[in-house]
Amino acid sequence: MTIDQTMLLILSTIIFPGLFFIISLALFTQYMVRKISARYQNRMGPSYVGAFGVLQPFYDFWKLLRVKETVKTRFSMVKTAELFFLMGLTFSIGALVFLPLSPFRVCSEFDVLIFFYMASVIPFISTVMASMAMPGPYTSIGISRMLSIATIAEPAFFASIIIPVYLTTRGGDVLFMSLSGYVNVPRTWLNPLYVVIMLLCFIAYIVSLQAKVMYQPFNIPEAEQEIIAGFETEFSGPLLALFRLLHDVELAISLLLGVYIFLGGPLPFRHLSIGGVLLLIVKYVVLVIVITLVKNVMGRYRIDQALIQLFKYSLIPAIISSILVSIV
Amino acid sequence: MVTLKVDPYMAVAISIGAVALLLAITLLLYYMLKSRITRISDVYLSGEPESVVSSISPSIASLYWGFIRRFARSIFNILVTKVHTGSLHDWYKFISSWYGILLLISIVVFTTLMLIGW
Repeated sequence: MTIDQTMLLILSTIIFPGLFFIISLALFTQYMVRKISARYQNRMGPSYVGAFGVLQPFYDFWKLLRVKETVKTRFSMVKTAELFFLMGLTFSIGALVFLPLSPFRVCSEFDVLIFFYMASVIPFISTVMASMAMPGPYTSIGISRMLSIATIAEPAFFASIIIPVYLTTRGGDVLFMSLSGYVNVPRTWLNPLYVVIMLLCFIAYIVSLQAKVMYQPFNIPEAEQEIIAGFETEFSGPLLALFRLLHDVELAISLLLGVYIFLGGPLPFRHLSIGGVLLLIVKYVVLVIVITLVKNVMGRYRIDQALIQLFKYSLIPAIISSILVSIV
Repeated sequence: MVTLKVDPYMAVAISIGAVALLLAITLLLYYMLKSRITRISDVYLSGEPESVVSSISPSIASLYWGFIRRFARSIFNILVTKVHTGSLHDWYKFISSWYGILLLISIVVFTTLMLIGW
């Protein structure tokens, strides 16, 4: 790597699409989810801070970080929890160097696997470890539910990502199992042999994403009212700010990934064109609306119901598409 | 836009480098900005004192059996009604029947392999 490339990598990591951009996007995604949810519930949603209340998520984060106190018990390990959250956050953001959105892009065979571990597995493990560092009976119940859901949601999410990437990169014109395959996404959707597989993967992706980010109907690990706030009961002040930020960043990155592997990113335009940028934004917003719609029209499942529904609507489509892809 | 095509090992190395840089920056920003106010309290138990629970976290065994009892009800029923009935005969019957099946399968597999060659 030359000095210019190293500087560009540092800028990509810190500014765009790294730390500052992805945090802004995550907070804006939270704003959209809150605003759309409010419309469904006949409320106004965030309205007062910034134009149309767009700065409300940032002010919520800022208040938790700067003003609120950290409440701890004699069993709490606050520094360990903070470190795990920061690790989850940095691994998620570090994975963005593989996304075609980045001005400096690292590309290799099987880079989707590295991306998956960094942006999906490590943030999940970090959240579990941080919750365990702040123990309590409600926290333990929340973690056990979270782990139960992950046993189905994570494999389904993994399969729903890997299969489209395999289909788009098997032609040999791009690196095998690389996120560069997004250029072949329109062609893959138009192929009658692949369209069913892509559709099944998309369903598995949406359902497992809903479970990963613990939106209704899969919000049983936090289950407000029933087990207070589940695994996040003992988080407060700056620690709660970090948790919420990690959650939103994970959601934003998973949605960006979906935009590329299912919807083809900026295609048919190029990244550096007005059409490309607008189309990328439209596709992202469409995915946000889809997950917010599911969040608002469904009630919370009990843990056993949640596991069965996840099995039916995310793991089974993922398994069927795996079998189909091995046949075609 | 610059695309750097590398082998997977190099890709991991570069991304870990990016993570290290990010970790240093976020640690610095977080500890510079975070509120220093802390308050020590009891574990939150909906207003009850800590004495109402024997331990602060349920044991792993409790979580495991809780999960099996609620989600894998059919497995739990088999374990309770057929294996752990309190009678040693029932336990021996259950275990030996499964061992018998495994033994039978292994004999069939090895015989087939010996007949058709390895």
